[in-house]
Amino acid sequence: MNTETFYNMIGGDYNGIMGRFVTEERVLRFVRKFPADGSFAALKAALDAGATEEAFRAAHTLKGVAQNLGFDALYEKAAEITDILRGGNLDVAALMPGLEKSYELVVDGISALD
Amino acid sequence: MDETKQKILIVDDSEMNRSLLADMLGDEFEIIEACDGIEAVSNIRRYGVDLSLVLLDIVMPRMDGLEVLAMMNSYKWIENIPVIMISSERASAYIARAYELQATDYIQRPFDATVVRRRVMNAIMLYNRQKKLAGLVEEQIFKKKKEQSLMFNILSYVIEYRNGESNTHLMHVSTITDILLQNLLKLTDKYKLSQQEIALISGAAALHDIGKIAIDEKILNKPGKLTPEEFEIIKTHSAYGAEILSSIPSYDKEPLIRMAGDICRWHHERYDGGGYPDGLKGDDIPIGAQVAGLADVYDTLTNKKSIPHDKAIDMIVKGESGVFNPLLIKTLKWVANKIQIDVHVNASIGNTRKEVARMARNEISHGELTVSKRTMELLDRERERYRFVVSMSNDIFFELYRDPTIITFSEEGAKKLGVELSVKDPANDIKIISSFGKNNIVMLLELIESATHENPLVSYECEIKIGGVLRRCRITVMTQYLHEEGSDEYEYYSTVGRIEELKEEPQI
Repeated sequence: MNTETFYNMIGGDYNGIMGRFVTEERVLRFVRKFPADGSFAALKAALDAGATEEAFRAAHTLKGVAQNLGFDALYEKAAEITDILRGGNLDVAALMPGLEKSYELVVDGISALD
Repeated sequence: MDETKQKILIVDDSEMNRSLLADMLGDEFEIIEACDGIEAVSNIRRYGVDLSLVLLDIVMPRMDGLEVLAMMNSYKWIENIPVIMISSERASAYIARAYELQATDYIQRPFDATVVRRRVMNAIMLYNRQKKLAGLVEEQIFKKKKEQSLMFNILSYVIEYRNGESNTHLMHVSTITDILLQNLLKLTDKYKLSQQEIALISGAAALHDIGKIAIDEKILNKPGKLTPEEFEIIKTHSAYGAEILSSIPSYDKEPLIRMAGDICRWHHERYDGGGYPDGLKGDDIPIGAQVAGLADVYDTLTNKKSIPHDKAIDMIVKGESGVFNPLLIKTLKWVANKIQIDVHVNASIGNTRKEVARMARNEISHGELTVSKRTMELLDRERERYRFVVSMSNDIFFELYRDPTIITFSEEGAKKLGVELSVKDPANDIKIISSFGKNNIVMLLELIESATHENPLVSYECEIKIGGVLRRCRITVMTQYLHEEGSDEYEYYSTVGRIEELKEEPQI
């Protein structure tokens, strides 16, 4: 799968990221680093532990990374959760499956990249 | 580590975001990374002003970006290291707070390679330009202060030489006035004075006894006790001084001359109304004149009458040497040690440096547009002062600099001697040799060479051609040295001198 196909599949913004990152080499280098980013796992762990602040920061980081990499669909879901957690509200269980699905789509897509 | 690269500290809790920023900034910077506020602070402390810029995320564990920014404010690191905030926070409260805390700029996610690079370069450039500007302003003000102190030194020859006193009194009064005013402001907010006004007052304080040139030399320098009549005559010097200054055409336009006029007239007033010439009482006496009056009394006791510092302070506090504003007495007691050190260790150059830095900071905070205007005003005032001082005397004034040796004469002086205004290598200049004589100029340069910071004064009598006629003259020169506080080294700075025609037959 080439980079553009990957972005279309995950609901990302290929043209946007090419404009911002300038070279496809840079896009791929950072996209491939994404699975190693621990913020999604940290968010799940913090929610399980009921740690509001950590959950907020993890969601916030995930949101920022997804935004930078042009993973728009994932970014939007993370942003929604971040805004709820920001207010000290831990009640995001209903939104987590959607986020997880989006996250897995990205990670699977990355492993299928050329 | 490459010492020549500019260092940028990237603070973000996401490794991904840090390496993305580092990658976008490219190879020309040395990147230092911190994953939260605490690490950021320790890196800022470690690298200090070696950091050209900090890229600072807002939401981070342990210590967030706004806390880092607040700390950079309280320790004033922010004055030397520009900060660009990074965040996807669109909440305007965050942005407003960051700007309030003196963040230079703001980068929003998602990062755009071109924007990140451009913003970072711009912020660094802007900061460097500001620093350069601050340096330039400081240099200009220092130059002006240097020229000003040269003028005061010359003036102190004119007046104090005539009074048969040491030539340090005026400089001391100026220094003490500055110290007292700076600290009076810390003690009370009763007197609203800007740094510029303080500089003005302490400068003008050096002119407090200018009226003595109108007093008969026989009375002024009379050994022994004065008769009551003679004392009454001496007392007229304060009103004379104010009169001389108010007759200067630019009196109304020149704050320095007006301030000097006030100080001349009222530096012998007493807080209880028992002084002269007007018997003003309390704060009817302008604060500048009150402070200069106190500085005059202290230095007269310690410098002219050789009373030890502690005893002099004690006498003033007990009211044995006049009646002063209680707030001023409190200030004097508070800063007595500082006065003793600054005046007697003669750190006048160091004081000037400090004052200049203070003034430059004020200039910068008023924005760069006012700087050139302000500088022009200062230069105007400087020319005014120079013309005034020189016009009061028939003597020839000059300054001498080394490396290379350059001598600069007052305009009238150059005319009288028939030499150029500024002459490089005077010992080999035909016109100088023709008016001074080769031997005299060589001798003079050697004498200046032999001066030290302990014996900065040299006097030399010889015959010089003035207006084409050989005249018996006395050349008096004083050499100034730069002295860093806490150092034993005295570095040659410049020499000022006066050539005075001797009316009487030369003394053997």
